[in-house]
Amino acid sequence: MPKPAIAKETSATQALFRIHIRGALQDVWDEITRTDDVIPCFFNMRMHAARLARGAPMQMRTKSGKYVGVVGEILEWDPPRRFAHTFRFTQMDDPPCKVSYELVPKDDGVEFTLRISELTPGTKSAKQMTQGAVMILNTLKAVIETGRPTLGTRALFALFALLEPLTPKRCRVENWSDN
Amino acid sequence: MWLPMKPDAMDAVFAALASRERRQMLDIVLAHPGCGVNQVAAHFAMTRVGVLKHLRLLEEAGLVLSEKVGRVRRLYFNAVPIQQIHARWSDRYGALFADHMVAIQERVESRNRQRKTNRA
Repeated sequence: MPKPAIAKETSATQALFRIHIRGALQDVWDEITRTDDVIPCFFNMRMHAARLARGAPMQMRTKSGKYVGVVGEILEWDPPRRFAHTFRFTQMDDPPCKVSYELVPKDDGVEFTLRISELTPGTKSAKQMTQGAVMILNTLKAVIETGRPTLGTRALFALFALLEPLTPKRCRVENWSDN
Repeated sequence: MWLPMKPDAMDAVFAALASRERRQMLDIVLAHPGCGVNQVAAHFAMTRVGVLKHLRLLEEAGLVLSEKVGRVRRLYFNAVPIQQIHARWSDRYGALFADHMVAIQERVESRNRQRKTNRA
């Protein structure tokens, strides 16, 4: 298969991903902003935030609460349309990027856009963010439309739970202040 | 791991991809996220209106996302529809073997190209 003759841009700082979800706007919003339970579309992690408002710190923690995977600060909080925060993987030393979730009612559901900006090209974080984005969208769609993630995704979550003890020590919750 | 796509949406993706020019446009947008219409048009001999028509089809299929920033329309590749189609016909294990086969094909073909170049 001949490769396209166009070199891949390395200075990209923004990526967009969009999917149409057949469901209610509020249901999609509640699904991505809940703090009382794990969020399947965010790799079955739990959002930890003392308050959900602009300027507040937030974390994504593992189901057990023992590890922090992501730290950030809420940049935009506009229910039920827009939620944005800075995003940094605790496992890496890469600079933070920005993620925003944009919800627009369309046809019989919601047009959901995930925007990743200020990505530092060539970093491991940039690669993981763009790879993870399609899984976030797909799992969110599955949860809203069928009530739960697909079988493959559920199997993956079981694997995550099994592998949790192998998470690097630097990610342990006591190393990440939550205020 | 993906939900089935609506038949109409899938038709739109295949129709959009059934053109060499539009596939090239997708390559350009993928390689240059946030590029403008003019940047895409620079690669083609057709008129700007022609390019816009092709881009509209790609956008309607969800393969290209566009947003206006000031007076410029910026274009982005959306990987989601292609992932959905891929998932329909390819389970995880099948995909693994298919990946190997594509890798073998690429290696053999590049070796053949190399031989031809050496002979020339």
